[in-house]
This record gives sequence, C-alpha cells and structure tokens, in this order.
Amino acid sequence: MDFLMLAVQILVFPGLLFMTAMGVLLTGLGGKLVARLQNRVGPPVLQPWYDILKCFGKEMIVPEHAGRAVYIGAPVLGFAVLCTAGFFIPMGGRAVFSGTADVIVVLYLLTFCSVMAMAGAASTGSPFAGVGVSREMVAMISYELPFVLILLAVGKLAGSDTGGVTFSLQSIAEWQRIHGPVLFHWSMIPAAIAMLFVISCEAGLHPFDVAEAETEICEGLLAEYSGLPLAFYRLTHCVRLFIMTALFAALFLGGLAAGNDGLAVLLLVAVCIVLTFLCMALPHGICARLRVEQLFRFYWTVVTGLALVSLVLVWFGL
Amino acid sequence: MMEMIYGQIGGAVAHFPIFAVISLFLGAFLTALVGKRRALLRRGIVFVSSLVSLVLVILMIPPVMSEGWIITYWMGGWEPVGQWAIGIGLEADALSLFFALIVTAAVFTAALYSFPYMAQDSQPENYYTLYLMLAGSLLGLVLSGDLFNIFVMIEIMTMTAVALTAFRVDYDGALEGAIKYMIVGSIGSSAVLVGIAILYSQLHTLNLAQLALRLPEANSPATAAAFAFLFVGFGSKAFLFPFHPLAADAHAVAPASISMIISGVITKCGVYGIIRLCYVLWQNMSLPAVSTAVTLIGAVSCFICVTMAFNQHNFKRLLAFHSISQIGYVIAAVGLGSFFGLEAGLFHAMNHTIFKGLLFLAAGAVQHAAGTLDLDRLGGLARKMPRTFLLFLIGAAAISGLPPFNGFASKWMIYQSVFEKAEESGNPVFILVLVLCLLSSVLTLASFVKVTQSVFFGPCRPEYAELRDVSAAMRVPMWILATLCVITGLFPGAVRNILLAPAAAAAGNPAAYIDAVFGVGTAAGAHIPEAAKASETLIGCWEPLSWLWLLLTVTCAVCFVMVLGGRPFGRTVQADDAEERRQASEKLFAGLPDPKYESFFSGEKAEFSHVGGSDLFWGFKYSLRRYFSYMRRWHSGNVNDYTRYGIAALAFMLAFAVLCL
Repeated sequence: MDFLMLAVQILVFPGLLFMTAMGVLLTGLGGKLVARLQNRVGPPVLQPWYDILKCFGKEMIVPEHAGRAVYIGAPVLGFAVLCTAGFFIPMGGRAVFSGTADVIVVLYLLTFCSVMAMAGAASTGSPFAGVGVSREMVAMISYELPFVLILLAVGKLAGSDTGGVTFSLQSIAEWQRIHGPVLFHWSMIPAAIAMLFVISCEAGLHPFDVAEAETEICEGLLAEYSGLPLAFYRLTHCVRLFIMTALFAALFLGGLAAGNDGLAVLLLVAVCIVLTFLCMALPHGICARLRVEQLFRFYWTVVTGLALVSLVLVWFGL
Repeated sequence: MMEMIYGQIGGAVAHFPIFAVISLFLGAFLTALVGKRRALLRRGIVFVSSLVSLVLVILMIPPVMSEGWIITYWMGGWEPVGQWAIGIGLEADALSLFFALIVTAAVFTAALYSFPYMAQDSQPENYYTLYLMLAGSLLGLVLSGDLFNIFVMIEIMTMTAVALTAFRVDYDGALEGAIKYMIVGSIGSSAVLVGIAILYSQLHTLNLAQLALRLPEANSPATAAAFAFLFVGFGSKAFLFPFHPLAADAHAVAPASISMIISGVITKCGVYGIIRLCYVLWQNMSLPAVSTAVTLIGAVSCFICVTMAFNQHNFKRLLAFHSISQIGYVIAAVGLGSFFGLEAGLFHAMNHTIFKGLLFLAAGAVQHAAGTLDLDRLGGLARKMPRTFLLFLIGAAAISGLPPFNGFASKWMIYQSVFEKAEESGNPVFILVLVLCLLSSVLTLASFVKVTQSVFFGPCRPEYAELRDVSAAMRVPMWILATLCVITGLFPGAVRNILLAPAAAAAGNPAAYIDAVFGVGTAAGAHIPEAAKASETLIGCWEPLSWLWLLLTVTCAVCFVMVLGGRPFGRTVQADDAEERRQASEKLFAGLPDPKYESFFSGEKAEFSHVGGSDLFWGFKYSLRRYFSYMRRWHSGNVNDYTRYGIAALAFMLAFAVLCL
C-alpha cells in the first residue's frame, strides 16, 4: 500500500502529472498575460501544450556532428532530474521526500538540469548552441550567488528558534507554521524581491533569456533540436517555471492554510499564478532583453545586494 | 568505532609499515639496476613493488582502522627510553594510514597508466626509478614518526617531482616549470627545516609523539615561530595560496601520470602535514584565531584558483588550478576544527585524488591521441574518443559536485560542517567561507562545461579525422578511478564508517598517539586531553541511494511516456550522409541561383565553425575584466614574484603566529 501511495505521489500528485500540468498552465497563462499587457489577444492558455504535443509527433533529426547518446539522453535526464528536485519541495503541506539538507540538494539538482540542457546543446556541435551554452553558464553564475544568499537568509531566519541556520525545507515550513510566513517579516522583503529575479533568470524568462535569444542566436541551446527531445526541453522549461515558483512559495509563503491540504494546494496554485505574473508577464511586457554582461552585472550588484541586505538584517536578529 | 588499544601489536603486522615503504624504494633501485633494456622485467618490478605496498597498507586497515591499534616501528630496535624517543620510528595511526592508502592506491593506478602512456618515451629506466623514489618518499612521509624524517622525505619528494616534471624536457615550458617548482619548492622545504631547527633548539627532540607531549606546555614565541615556518612549509607542498601559481606551471608540463601524483598525492601530503601540525603537535585548532585563519586560507585558495582556472586554455593548466581550488575546500573544512569538518575534509581529499586523477589521466589520453592540450585547437573529440569522453564526463561531474558522484557527497559534508561551525561560533566569517565555497562550485562547473564544449563537442577539426581512441591498457586505470568515483559517491556512509571516522578520531586524539609510543598514561600525566569529543550532533550523511531510486523511477516513467506518446527512437533520421544532404538541398533550392543560402535552411554550415575555449564566457570575463587583468598581472609567471609571495606568506604567518599563539 505504501508502495502504491508512493507511485501515485511520483506519477500523479505532486509528481509528474501535476508538475507538468502546472508548468504548462503557468507558461500558457504567462503568455496570455503578456499579450494582454501589450494589448494583444494572445494565444490560448493551452498553446504551450499544443506546441509540445506537436513536437512529440515530429521527426527527430540528429545533426551530423552530434554525439547521439548525449543528444537524446540529455533532455530526458534533465527533465527527470528537474522532477526529482520537485519532490523535495513541500507542496500542499508536505514534500514527497525530505532530507537533512534538502535545500542544497534542490540547488544542485536545478544546476544538474541546466547542465543537461547545456550538454545536449553542446553535443550538437552548432556554433549557435555553443554561444547558447556559454550564455546559459554565465546566466547560471549570475543567479547562483544571490540564490545562495537568499537561501542562507531564509535558513538563518527559520533556524533562529534553535539558534542556528537550517538547510531543511521541512524545518523552514515548520518554522513558518509557527511564526507566520517568512515574507511577512519586513527584513526578508529584499530577499523576496531578489528571489523574484532569480526565478526569472533560472526559468529563462524574457528579459533574462540570453541563452535562448531567438533573434540573436536562433534559440541558442535549442538551435539544433527537433521532435521528441525538443518537446522534452519545452516541457522542462515549463516545469522549471512551476518548480521555481513553488520553491518561492515554500521559502517565503509556507505554512499558509496549514492542516487543510486541499486549501493549501489551491493557495499554492494561486501563489504560482501571481508569481508568474510578477516574474514572467510583467518584465516581459516592460523590458527588452538584456545583454549577457548587463545581466551578469545586474545580478551581481542589484540582486545580490538585495539578498545581502536581508542576510545582514537577519544576521543581526531583525 | 572501537576504543583505542594501547600496547604493541604483535605479529607480522608490526612490520608492515616499513615493508610498505621499503618495497617502493627497493623497486626504485632494482629498476635502476635493470637498465635500459628488458622493458617487461622493469614493468614487472614497478607493478609488483607498487602492488605490494598497496596490499600491505590495505592489510593494515583492519587492525588500525577498525580495532584501533597504532602500529609503531623502531628501526634497529631503538625503542624509546623513559620519555625520550631518539631512534628512527614509524608510527601508523588511522590518520597516517588514511593518507598512506591514498598514496599507495594512486601510485599503483598511475603506474598502470604509465606503462602504455610512457611507452614511446626515451629513458624509461630513469622515469620509473624516479617514479618509485617519489612514491616511496610520499609513503615514508605519511608514515614517519619523526619530524626530521618527514623533512628528508619532503626533500626526496620535491627533487624527484621536479625531475619528473621536466622529464619530457623537449616540451615547451617543461624546464621552466621544473625550475620554478624547484626554486619555490625549496623555499617551502627550507621553511620546514628552519621550523625543525627551532623546535630542536627548544625541545631537543624531533619525535612527533614526544613533541606532541611537550609542546603544549612549552609554549613560547619560538615555538610559535616554528609553527609558522612548518605551516608555510607544508602549505607550499600543498600549493596553497599564495603558492598556487607553481602548481599550474608544474602540472601542465609534467607527464599525465606525474600530474596525477603531484596533484592527487603530493598536495595531500601537505594537507597531512597541516593536520598533523595543528591537531596533534600543537593541538591549537581549537583556538578561534587559528581555526578562522586556516579556514580563510582554504576558502581564498579555493576561490582565487577557480577564477584562475576559468581563464586557462591549456587543459592541464586548467586542471592544475582546479586541484588547488579543491585543496582549498579540504583546508577550509579541516580548519573548522570540528570532528565533522575533519571528516568532510578527509573525504574530499580522498575524492579529489580519485576524480582529479581520473581527469588528469583523461587529459593525458587526449594529449596522447591528439598531440595537444590547447583548448582552442581541440574540438569534436567526443565522437573520435567516445570511451575517454565517458570517463572524462564522470570525472567532470564528480569535480563539479553533481550528484550522485563522490564530489557531491564530500562537498555536501563540507557545506554542512561550515554551517555547523557558523552556527556554533556565530562568526560571520564562516558564512563568507560558505558563500565562497558554493560560488567556487558553480565556477568549477562552468570551467568544466568549457572543457567539455571545447575539447569534446563541436565539429571535429580535419587534422583529427583519423584520430583513434586510446588503447584499453590506458583506459583500465581510468576505469578503476571512475568506478571509485561512483562507489564512494553512492556509499558515503560506508566510507565514513570504515575510513573517515577512525582517521578523524585519530587526528583529534593526540593522547593516543603519545601513549602508543611512551606507554599508557603518559599523556594523562601531561594533562593532554584523553580523546577528542566525537561528533555529538551527528549530522546525517548524504544518502543518495533512495534518491537514486526516485530518479530511476522518474526516468523510467518519462521513457514510458516517450515510447507511448512520441515516436520511438527507430524513426530517427541521422543526417550524416553529406552527399545525400547536398543533393536534397539542391533539389530543394533548384529555383534559387546561389547555394550560399544552404546554411540558412539546413541549419548546419559545412565550414568549420567551433566556439573555442577562450571565447566562451566572455560575458562573465568582460564584466569582471578589472579583476581578471589584476589577476593576470599578479600571476606574472616570473619566479622572482612567486618567491616574493612565498616570503610574504611566511612573514604574514610569522606575525600571525607570534601574535595569536
């Protein structure tokens, strides 16, 4: 029975099905919101889903210079790793899986997922993909520093009861159940703003999507991809948006509607939609794409600065 | 973990330490005797002597690691009288044995690799003689029970390492690297000698156990200065900041098997020296000043070297900077002074030997096959050398700390222990250390993405069209290391129980080290604490297995969906027939006059266009151009400058030690 329960958790909720559905929904909704901001009608909310389905049925062409195994394997493994990261994030009250320092595990799994995207792109041998890889990596370096600082700030605040720092999402959730969401502590607001930017960059959303700049480098990482692997990359993209927003919810807005799982899930969905608006639609509607070095400078100065402010405030017990 | 057993262990095991060392030195002399011809006999000697020392060390593990014996061996039966140990002694406690295991395992693997790798070189007899001398000195260093023999071994080690660095003397920069290594290395050796001289003038003994017994009460500015000298000496052998530029010059030009030994083992001997010094001799790691300083040195080495590695375009130079970066992790963890930190540091030290050895051997294989290590000139080797590529990927994933390889397991422990320390001490410096470590991890990943992209991916250059993968004989040692990467990554708990916990306990228990030489109760009489506190806040070890099951299930589910929903793999089109493709496009563009549009439609330009190593990450480099240009000026390649850095480090440590100890 436990096994069956686990299988349901992995496959349905909060597993593959739920994450995929949420990811696609959020991406579609984001697209619609952008369109409304720009005074367009926009595509239907399910447009990403149609795109992915269509890709599934298309022929897969392995480029001449590509390493075949990596070309096919990387998108699949990347998607699997990303979903595994999702299992550590508490959704609707509890996570499928929790460890002593799952924040670090999640951090590394997200990295692993990006690495898989890069490996697949690099394996095609296309120079566009090569540039894409380089940009993706620079973007990763850019957001990793503020991301770590944010996690430390939240960990320090949530560990304040025990006089230490915690690396466990479970105990962060526990702390929020008692003291109210982290976001409601004024010292954490800069970190939350920084986290919004981290979500945008991590999920490769518009002003920060230097790695997949269609107009400059032909979608960079995806330049040579087609058919099934491309569908997986698109899926990964969608799920990544959901996982990052869910992580935000877990870090900053945990403990809402504790005890009532159904309500908690509904709240999670609502939070994710709001975050999609903030991280995806709003910047997309407002800004043009940054250049690589602008992106890097922005993240290592403004965003890192915001995260640092929170960390220092929390360190002094504010 | 068992209690320490005091007294003399009986039987053959008592002689194992000396036999293990002698086996290697004897092999060196026999190799020299065999001379130029008889390659098979020479290889036999090298194989047997390195295997014998490895087996002897492994046989010592059960009594020392699990039963808690400390094996002491007195040459010529010169046992200590009263509380004076004058004779030459070997003392193998769990800490020594842990490093001895690293030494002998690496030596054995690199010897296996040398057989095919060095087959084309002239003067193999010199190579293997020097190689076994180096191996013997390394093993002697970690097993030695007195400081003077440690110095002798350091000298043999440095000189043979210098000679081996310049072994391929016709390589560009080989002599230069070797001379730099020799000059700055001798500064380190002299520092050790001066430290020894000061200690001898103060305490009239050089036996480690006796020093450990008498140093805590004989604290004076002179012994503090000796600490500084020895610390800098051992630090220079570990190539810690600011000695790190040397490592790059030396590793890059040495044969790959020697790079593996220099980076994987010689640096570990420096780490061993520092642990011995701080935990057993002076027992001062509990002082916040020392702990903070050592951790900071580690973190700074870690960060500076990883940024330096970022800019390299020689494969092995890049790896060399990464070695020091990883040693920085080790020192940072060791410097925490906690039991868990020590375990994490030792684990990472061991893992570093494994994965960096693997990477150096893979670099050697690339060099062997393609004849160059220039990242800007290589490309597209993944399809030419698929097996080497796979091995390289394992090593690269391990060093970048991707789960489930061993690099992740040990880095995870390091983060945890730094966290724990930050928690306990409330010192924000440790948070800085943690951020530096995490950031270095991303940058490590970045530079291995760069290597993968510029060496193995991209279109293959025409000059490598006929390239063949290296022979199975060269891949076997790499497979050994790759397997170890996976095993230690999957079962960190077992490694911890068998190796790390006893070694860390031995480092934290100078009393047992003293009692093993002078008899039970000596340490207690001198008010040396009985045993270090074992980790009370047992932080759970990273347990990857359950996680892997999860990943496996998900992957299976995803593949299932793929097969059901998508088109199966069979219907893939491999567009590798250039002629067919050309015809197809001709048909497609029959109405168009100019074939130049082809590249825009087919997506693949026929010309060679590869994003080289130096061109990646310009966004990052451009934003930090001030930092990088400063760093470039700083790493001038001028040995005078490097000497100055060494002297400055010495001066700084002296001031620090006299003020803070």
